[in-house]
Order: sequence, then C-alpha cells, then structure tokens
Amino acid sequence: MNEQPERSNWPAHASRNPRGGGKGSSTSFALLRALVILMFGILTLQLINMQLIKGDEYERRVAINALREVPLSPARGLILDRNMQPLVQNSARFSVAVVPGDLPEHGESAVYSTISSVVDIPASEIESMVRIGRANQDEFSPVVIKVDIGRDPALELLELEPHAPGLAILVEPTREYSAGSALSHVLGYVGPLSAEEYADSDGYLFKDSIGKNGIELNYEDILRGELGRKLVEVDATGREIKTIDEDRPLDGSNLVLSIDLDLQKHVAEVLSQHTDDSESAAAVVMDVNTGEVLAMVSRPTFDNNMFASPLSQEALSGLLEAPGKPLLNHVLSEQFPPGDTFKMIVAGAALQEGVARPDTIITNKGYITVRNELDPNVVYIYPDRHALGPLDFSAGLAQSSNVYSYYLAGGKSDEGFIGLGPDRVARYAQAFGFGNPTGIDVPGESAGMVPDASWKESTVGDPWTLGDTYDMGIGQGYLGATPLQVLRAMCAIANGGRLVTPHLLKEVRDNHGSLLSSPEIAETEPLPVDASNLDIIRQAMRRSVTEGVTKNANVSGIAVAGNSGVAEFGAKLQDGKRATHGWFAGFAPYDNPEVAVVVFTEQGNGSDDASPAASQILDFYFHGPRLAAQPQVIGQ
Amino acid sequence: MIVDRRAIKHLDLLLIATAIALVIYGGLLIYSASLPTYPGGLSLGHPVVKQGVFAILGLGVMATAAWVDYRAFGQAAVALYLVAIALLILVLAVGEPVYGSTRWFTIAGQQIQASEIAKLLIIIVLARFLADRQQQMRDIRVFITSLAIVIPAAFLVLIEPDMGTAIVFGAIWVGMVLMAGAPVRYVAVLVGLVVAMIPFAALAVFGEYQRDRLVNWIDPSSDPLGGGFAILQSEIGIGSGGLLGQGWTEGTQTQFHFVQTSSTDYIFSVVGEEMGFVGAMVLFALYVLLLFRGIRIASMTEDSFGRLLATGIVVMILFQVFINIAVNIRLLPVTGIPMPFVSQGGSSLLMLFAAVGLLEGIALRHKRLEF
Repeated sequence: MNEQPERSNWPAHASRNPRGGGKGSSTSFALLRALVILMFGILTLQLINMQLIKGDEYERRVAINALREVPLSPARGLILDRNMQPLVQNSARFSVAVVPGDLPEHGESAVYSTISSVVDIPASEIESMVRIGRANQDEFSPVVIKVDIGRDPALELLELEPHAPGLAILVEPTREYSAGSALSHVLGYVGPLSAEEYADSDGYLFKDSIGKNGIELNYEDILRGELGRKLVEVDATGREIKTIDEDRPLDGSNLVLSIDLDLQKHVAEVLSQHTDDSESAAAVVMDVNTGEVLAMVSRPTFDNNMFASPLSQEALSGLLEAPGKPLLNHVLSEQFPPGDTFKMIVAGAALQEGVARPDTIITNKGYITVRNELDPNVVYIYPDRHALGPLDFSAGLAQSSNVYSYYLAGGKSDEGFIGLGPDRVARYAQAFGFGNPTGIDVPGESAGMVPDASWKESTVGDPWTLGDTYDMGIGQGYLGATPLQVLRAMCAIANGGRLVTPHLLKEVRDNHGSLLSSPEIAETEPLPVDASNLDIIRQAMRRSVTEGVTKNANVSGIAVAGNSGVAEFGAKLQDGKRATHGWFAGFAPYDNPEVAVVVFTEQGNGSDDASPAASQILDFYFHGPRLAAQPQVIGQ
Repeated sequence: MIVDRRAIKHLDLLLIATAIALVIYGGLLIYSASLPTYPGGLSLGHPVVKQGVFAILGLGVMATAAWVDYRAFGQAAVALYLVAIALLILVLAVGEPVYGSTRWFTIAGQQIQASEIAKLLIIIVLARFLADRQQQMRDIRVFITSLAIVIPAAFLVLIEPDMGTAIVFGAIWVGMVLMAGAPVRYVAVLVGLVVAMIPFAALAVFGEYQRDRLVNWIDPSSDPLGGGFAILQSEIGIGSGGLLGQGWTEGTQTQFHFVQTSSTDYIFSVVGEEMGFVGAMVLFALYVLLLFRGIRIASMTEDSFGRLLATGIVVMILFQVFINIAVNIRLLPVTGIPMPFVSQGGSSLLMLFAAVGLLEGIALRHKRLEF
C-alpha cells in the first residue's frame, strides 16, 4: 500500500466523512475525553460510596479481620496428700514438629537431618511425614514428628531452632504422678477429650486433657479451672503479631486428700509381699469416725504416668487383658463373696432381733444337715472347718464358726432354734451398707449384691431354700460385696453404730495454699443395732485376734480387733475343696477405735496372708516405719 | 527519520513527568505491600529496586521509541503481527501457570507477560491497517477484516485465561475503528451481539475459572477463604481507608497479608486502605492528566496512522486502569490485570514506556512539513 497518496488525501477524505472531517475528529476527541471523565467518574462514585459513606462499617470489619480471640488453658489443680506431699505435678511434655510453611525454599533436607540427628528418626521418614501433613492441613499447622522426646533432646533442638526454620518444639502440659503405680487407682489419670466429651462439656479446647478416672475424673470441675482468653492481632495466616488484651485463665484449685502417702506406699508394699501380680488384691485403711480414707491399694496395679503420652494399642490391650485386671480398682469396682467377715453382721442382727444372746450355746459337730424339702431321704451337708464342740456367742464369732452362723441365719427347726431368716439377714445387710454404693468420691463403684427370694426366683429361676439362707449367713452364695463395703460395715461396728461415707477429699485449697472449702461430710446413718450389742461383737472380734482365728493380725502394743476368714468361690477343685478368697476386716485400738482395715486377697486365706498383711499395715500406722521394719511377733 | 532539533520543543514533558510520577507513586505502594515479605528494607532483589531498574530501562526504551520515526513501525506491520501471535502461542506452549493462568514465560530469569507486548504490537498493526483504509471505513469488509486482525490475539489471551486483557483488546479495537470513522451502528450491532452472548459464553466457553470468578464477584463472602477471599479482603481494605487512609505502611489488610497479590493486581487496595479517598483522587488525577495528554497528541497530529496509534494507546491505558480498579472495588468480576505504571511488573512497565515513547514520537512529528 502506498502511503503518500493516502496522506495527501487525508483532508479530502475528512471532508467526505459524514461526521465532518477535522471538525468531526475534534468531536471524536471530545467524546474520548468525555469517556475518560465518565469512567473515572464511575470509579469515584463507587469510592465515595465505599470509603466516605460506608467507611465506618468496613473499618469494623477490618478490626474483626485482624483481631483474633485466642483461648488460654488454665493450669490444672494439684493433688496433695494429707501431709501436703504432692501426689501429682504439672510438667511439660516436649514434642518436635515441623511447620511446612516456615521451611526454607531450598534446604528442607538440612532441617530434616538436624531433627533426625537428635530424635533418631530417618530424615526420609520425616520428609514423608511432612508431605502427608502438608496434604492434609494448612501450611502453618505444625506436623508432629515425635511426641514426648524428653527434656534434654528438646533443649538441644531449641538451641538449633534459629538455624533450622520450620523446626518447632511444642510444649504441652502433662501430669506427672510422683507415686506412680502406688496411687494409680486412687488418682486415675487424664487424657485427651473424646469427641463426645468435647461436645458435652463447656470450657474445653479440643486439645485439652480431661480427667479419665479416679480423683482426676471425680473432681474434674475443681481441678480444671476456667479458660482465659487473649485478644491478639494476627496476620492472614493466623500468626500472632501482638497481644491487645488478655484475660488470664483461672487456674484449677488444689485438692488435699485424706490419703497418707507414706502409709499408702507401705500398704502397697505389704500387699505385694503377700500376693503375686496375677491375682487381684485390695487393702484399705479408713478413719472409723470420719470415713476418711488413709490408704487405698488395689493390685495388680499400673503406672498412670503411662497415660501421659498417647498409649499404643498394644500397651492398652496389654493392660486390659492382663491377669488380675490391673486397670480395675478391686477395692470398689468388683464384688466378691464377703465370707467370714459377714458373720459380724449376722451376729449383730441376731443379738438385736433376740435370736441369740451372749450365752446362747450351739454345739458345733463340724457340719449341719438339711433335709430336702420334697424328698426327706436326701440330706445336704453344710460343713464347717473344724468340729469345735459347744460354743457360746463370743467363741462362735472368735473361732469364726460356720455352724454358729448357720443357726443364727437359718435356724434349726428340728432343734427348735428359730433363725433370722433370709429377709431379716438381707435387711440388716442393707442397714450395714451392703447392696448399695458407699458413695465414695472415686468413680466406678459397684453396688454389690444382697439377694432375696424374689431376686433369686426372677434371676436364677429357682425358689429360695434354707440352704441359701445358710450360705448367706456365712457370707457366701449369692451375696456380693466390695472390700470397701466390708470396711465400711467394720467402721460402723467400731464407732458404735454410725455408717460413715468413705471419702478421700479433705480440703480444697488455692495455689497459695489458702483453704477454699472442706467437703461437707454426708450425715452418718445410725445402725438399727444397739450400742451394747455392737459392744459384744467388738469383744468377740478382739477375742478372735487374741485367741481365735485372727491371731496373725496381732500387733505388739496395739489391741487389734478383727476377723479373718475365707470365702469360697468357683467350682470344686480336684481335692473336693473350692478356691478361696482371703479376708481380714478389723479395727484398732480395740478400746478406742481409730482406724479400720480391710485386706482382700483373691487367691488367699485370711489367716495366712490377709491377717499378717493387716498386722503389718496397722503396725506401720501406729508405730511408723522404724518399728514396722522389725520382724513380726506372731501369736500371743 | 531522525527528529529535527527544532521539533524538540514539541516534546510533551508533562506526559513524561506524569508517567514518572505514577511509577514513583507505584514504588511507594509496592514498598508498603512488600513490607511483610521484605521487612529488612531495600536491598538488591527488593521489588521496589527491581521496579526502579525497569523504570530506568523503560526510560531508555521510551527515548528509543520516540527517536525512531513511529511510521517505521507501521511499515513493519505484517512482521509485528506475526511476532504478536507467535508470542501468544509460545506462552501457551511453554509458559508457567500462575494462579491457574498461563500468562508468563521466563527469559533469562525474567518473567515476561506475552500479552503486554502483544497489546502494543496489535495497536500498531491495527493503526496501520485502518490508516490505509481511511476512505473505505463504511465498507463492511474492511470493518470485518479489522475485527479479524484482533480476534486471534484476543482469543489466545482469553484461553490463557486472561479475560481482562481480552476485554482490553476489544476496547482498543472499538476505540480505533470508531476513531477511523467506522459507522457507529456497525460497532453497536457487534457490541450488542457480544453482550447478548455473554451468558451463553459464561456457561459454555469460559470454563470453571471464569465462572467461579463471576460468582465470586457477585457474592465473595460465599467463599471467604477460597478465590473470593482476595476480592473480599481488597474491598474491606479499600472501604476501611476512609477519607485519608490508615497511613502509608499502616494498613492492616495489606500488612497482615489479608490482601493477596497486593503489589500487582490488587495494588489499588493498598491505595484505598493506606492513602484513602484523597490518595485515590491523586492517582485518578495523574491518570486523567496522562490520558488527556495522550488525547491531545492524537488530536494534534495530522497523520492518520499516528492519530490512530495514539488513540489505541490511550484506550488501552484507560481500559486497563478502569478494569483494574473496578475489580478492586467490586464493579466488575475478578480478573487479574495490572495497573499501568503502578503495579509491580517489568514487561508491563517496559511496554508502557514504549507506548509513551510512541506518543512522544508522534508529538515530535505532528507537523510533517516543519523544516
């Protein structure tokens, strides 16, 4: 195309243009200028609307945008023993993590190998963990590489942190139980909130811990405290820039327990000497007047510090499946036949109901017979351990005679002896606290079992028989009680007839040690047994230690009153006998009762293991560790 | 082809000064927007330093473009057109996607936005074509052919995808054919057709990227952390600026990273938040001055090629500024387009200084017969 004629033609062309040549052009430029003004006018109008009219509203949204409320977790309350010895401490758990968004663009592997050199995880494994973390969460959420790396590696990594961008040491609060396994059933443990717990409870963050068992669970509300919050300025990735306002969290209060840590440890030690790890065993020491629990041990035990770090599935199932059920608190979560210890209750009922008097003589031939109600030719024999001959009331109890208790509970109609009968035995058993939870402040309590005729018919399907009454009279058959229930009944006998509520919490104090509150002790319920009748029972229990079957519970210098015995359970063994539980239940001093003790051994015998254990426990309680270390004086 | 000494008096110094003022204003905004990522102040590699280097290079490009007779570029129209199309195809083939859009390729460590260069080349080509057919503008075939020059370029840009630049191509064509004397009704019918097709195109052609952006514009809070986050945060930032703004480097939306790409596509949100309404008006005034100087040059020149070239450049800058700001203040759907002279970006800055150089070249030679 030739340009020259084009250019020379321009004015001519312009005049031919309907918009009017040069003049038309200037109109076009005027229109273009108008377009510029129009377009900037539109932008200006919108800006006036946004900045000048609605500016305040946007400013508020900016404030919401850049300010974030961060919740602050309170420090959990501590737990102390009655002598202010700490039973748990809050300590820090260190975990190493990587924040992918902070990693250097080149040289990620240097960071990985730094971590690898301290925590002993291959760098390649760290790399793949970070890759997975990156895919599943945002860039600035830390990817935890190893939990609970320990204090020294954490300090080492902290020093390396400035040179390894992306490396993060996470510090999380954790509970450290100083007494470990000696108190694990009492204190319980804390653990991460489950989804349900999180949904059901206010004032928790999802990463928080909550009491899962024992005192930690029961007094969660007191130990927990209240969340605080702080208002921080954050950037778009949520990283804190500065704190605007802070509302400190309210730390949890401290609990002072009635537990005596030294006694507790001694009881645990004594119990371990008399049982092995595969058997259940339990021992409790309680103030007879107040119900304060001084020591409470269940065996086999576990170390509740295990729950401070996430527990592996194997470790957990190991605990759940181990013989003797270590996670279960045998003191109160499981019921056993109370055996001979129940004879005290039957005896108290018999005196109160006039079934027997202190001078009631019953001849013990070594067994008692019962004829089958339908077929008189069938005779059942209910045995005793020894043929003790004629026994008065006190001797019957002191020797823990089965036959004597058979008479008291079921009577002997062919001899004209009227017994209590099943209803009255059950009524008195309930009055002594059997068949109902004691109300102790440790969760997971079993109610035990006080059977009666209608229960048996509906559950077992058979009618109640005289034999059932005899079994119940010696604490066997369908009767079930926790060691704690047995101990509570023993306290009632010792303190003259008041049924106390066992408890562990003595005081609530703030973290400066000031007393905040003492729990209200539940009203004790009076027993329907006269004090004079309980006096007779106590005499008999003292006699049992001095000259009866409980001799091995003797403590030099202290008048112990008690009852030891066995409770049969399970099927008959090859020698025709059954396996037995060992029991001791008693109190001391006899003339002014102070503490009561119960010892239970699953595969045991009252006089051989439960009684000596009780003796050692009481010796320690009254004489302290120095004397208790001396050899036992057996017998009188 | 060399400029006569006496013509130097025709150099539009105000135009150059305005362009430099815009670059300096932009430098302040880029510095503020870069503060979260570059808290240590200026250093080699700092975006402001890079921008300054490109501005100085740009002045050189401008001088060259002004010195060389702009008509020479018109002579090379066919070659320039082939270069423009080749660049746009090349970027689709070898470019690296950023935020889901393939607009850049890297040469010697420098990111080049192909459409920036193509835009200016297409303006030159179109100016030459229309100037040659000044008397035939009523001929529908000329009209259609001029459209056919722009369509391939606009289409290649659209599939990057870069809706904003495609619209700028359309605006350049409309402005230039009208200036060349094409009947208004032709343009009106065509624009009407395009507008009527938008809903169908949105459903069928644009793909998820453009549709999402359309939805984000209509209700950005429906997706505050996804693609809509950027526009919502930009809007909040601008609104909160009020009359005088939060102060330079004091805007929390910018400084705490709420606004993304705040030194490029969303740089107006920094103006709005930190400089306020007054700061925005200063910016508008600079642009209006720049554009009016451009229109003045277009209107002065008696050469139809120069006149159309200047018009194309003015329309390009006008629409680019308008679209960029309109997106920031939610008058248009989200489409990433840099703010001329102000946004961080080397290829854009060089192209704009070349455009200013062309305008100056036209100004220097506006009286052909000056001896």
